[in-house]
Amino acid sequence: MTSSPQLTVRGRYAERAVPGRDAGKIFAAMNQIQRIRQAVAHLKTTRDFLLHRKPAGRQMTVLPDDLFIVSYPKSGNTWTRFLLGNLIYQDEPVTFRNIESRIPSIYLFSDRQLLRLPRIFKSHDCFDPRYKKVIYIVRDPRDVTVSAYHYSIKVKLLPDRCPMEEFVPLFMSGTFGAGLLADPRWGSWYDNVSSWLAMQHSRKFLLLRYEDMLDNAARELHKVADFLGIEATPGRIQRAVELSSADKMREMEKSQSKDWQLTKETRQDKPFVRKARAGGWKSEMSEAAALRVEAGWGDLMLRLGYALAGLPVVAENSAVATPK
Amino acid sequence: MRIPKGGIHRVARVADQVGRVLTGRQPAGRNLTVFPDDVFLVSYPRSGNTWTRFLISNLIYQDEPTTFVNIESRIPEIYFNPDHKMRALQRPRILKSHECFQPHYKRVIYIVRDPRDVAVSFYHHNVKAGNIPDSYPMDDFIPRFIEAEFDSRWGCWQESVISWLTLREGQPTFLMLRYEDLKTDPQGQLLRVADFLRQCAFRPIDAGPEKLQRAVDLSTPERMRALEREQGNQWVLTQKTRHDKPFVRSAKSGGWKSTLSAQAISQIESAWGATMHKLGYDLVSPADNPPLHHSASNKH
Repeated sequence: MTSSPQLTVRGRYAERAVPGRDAGKIFAAMNQIQRIRQAVAHLKTTRDFLLHRKPAGRQMTVLPDDLFIVSYPKSGNTWTRFLLGNLIYQDEPVTFRNIESRIPSIYLFSDRQLLRLPRIFKSHDCFDPRYKKVIYIVRDPRDVTVSAYHYSIKVKLLPDRCPMEEFVPLFMSGTFGAGLLADPRWGSWYDNVSSWLAMQHSRKFLLLRYEDMLDNAARELHKVADFLGIEATPGRIQRAVELSSADKMREMEKSQSKDWQLTKETRQDKPFVRKARAGGWKSEMSEAAALRVEAGWGDLMLRLGYALAGLPVVAENSAVATPK
Repeated sequence: MRIPKGGIHRVARVADQVGRVLTGRQPAGRNLTVFPDDVFLVSYPRSGNTWTRFLISNLIYQDEPTTFVNIESRIPEIYFNPDHKMRALQRPRILKSHECFQPHYKRVIYIVRDPRDVAVSFYHHNVKAGNIPDSYPMDDFIPRFIEAEFDSRWGCWQESVISWLTLREGQPTFLMLRYEDLKTDPQGQLLRVADFLRQCAFRPIDAGPEKLQRAVDLSTPERMRALEREQGNQWVLTQKTRHDKPFVRSAKSGGWKSTLSAQAISQIESAWGATMHKLGYDLVSPADNPPLHHSASNKH
């Protein structure tokens, strides 16, 4: 390992590694160990790079015309991918086996692999100024929380019988389950949604509500087609909606969940495509848990048209301060 | 950044990438491992970030003065050194970044500067970097600056400012500094920084009046210019740029008044006027239609 001429990293323990002092020797040894660990980390980075093991994520190369389907996790991104994929590709229906080669996730491929794939991507990132064309899907955060709870059990982040009350604050922090459920770079639901809403005017931006899609998928898919300039006949829209129905997707998941990167390592007794409906929080969340979500995120929920069960709480009491 | 279609460019790009990875010199950038106790010094480029780095660094490190040689190990920027080197720094770290809103930056000092001055400074910076020729007309540069053509990673000035202010303004873990306030009252602003760092449970800092004065005196434009003359070819930010052009330029605010044409000023103000107004930068061009749409989403 050559040291960069720019950054004379003295090592975390260098200052205390004074020659001639007994304690200095220990710190010098700790420095050595640190250097070896750095070398090992470097070898791992190199291997991951060469074997495409490092997903691109926020480091991906973005081209000006790229389209991004962005949402917080558990907000209907996969369903939207199926709808759009079935609208664009007329040859054969979208399945869990081919979705990643049609509308790939930026978290499953290296940057070099992504450059060879179609330029419509799934992303969960917070605002990124390079995304110039964005379809953003938003969903009632109480339902997102419930869905994330079940997903956390599926990916073995939580035990089967974990109380929802314990999960809510973990989920609201936005840092729980890094790599499986969330990522520090995606932020919390509030950060993610408000970062995109704040920046929607400086790009091509289409906001979809998951609840509107449930209400009338064809109508919302028409919006998408208009947004993308796709010539869409009612028949073509209808085909896409039917091929992407929750029943179809559940059926496909049964036979393909072992072949899809997102589900193959997870518990097979729990489904990825779950209820696919709105308002599930009312029966699955205690009043206190729902109020907790509303206390933190209520102002943004109201802006998005999600009625609060409790009274709106003033910003001072909330976990996330509201923008003024 | 556009990807060249030609095979040779692509091969060169991949070779460069492979080379960096093999030699362990892939800059951390967005891949940076972020610790919860990190403090980030964030700004749009050319907004006084380096100067603030000198000020803070001269306040924290009271042994020897900060120079362009040691700044990158004291308050390094995230775009040059690989992540493993950044991880080895003493914590809590203070790091320089130009990113738009990043949810995982938990403690942030954000510096904002009049975008008309940023534009002028950015122009000269691009001449220095060799991106545009000496004679490039400022009036052609301004629209490209507004569109953030020169580095799309960081968005345009307004995207950077709005994304941070919308999400974090008013929170105790966010401190906003104005470059103009730093110019008029460096000691007072530096004291705010010291208070902020104390609140962030940073290591204890002696921020007595004489220490503040020392930090300000060691970070004057004159001193930084002198340092740049000696060390310009050693510092990562300047070593590959033209040495006949300075990095530390006029270090003034309001330079745009004599440099920018009325047309250029009005272009900037019509693009970002509402945000500028909010930050206390007076608009000078006759506003026929005040642009409000960017902040509209911010009101409810």
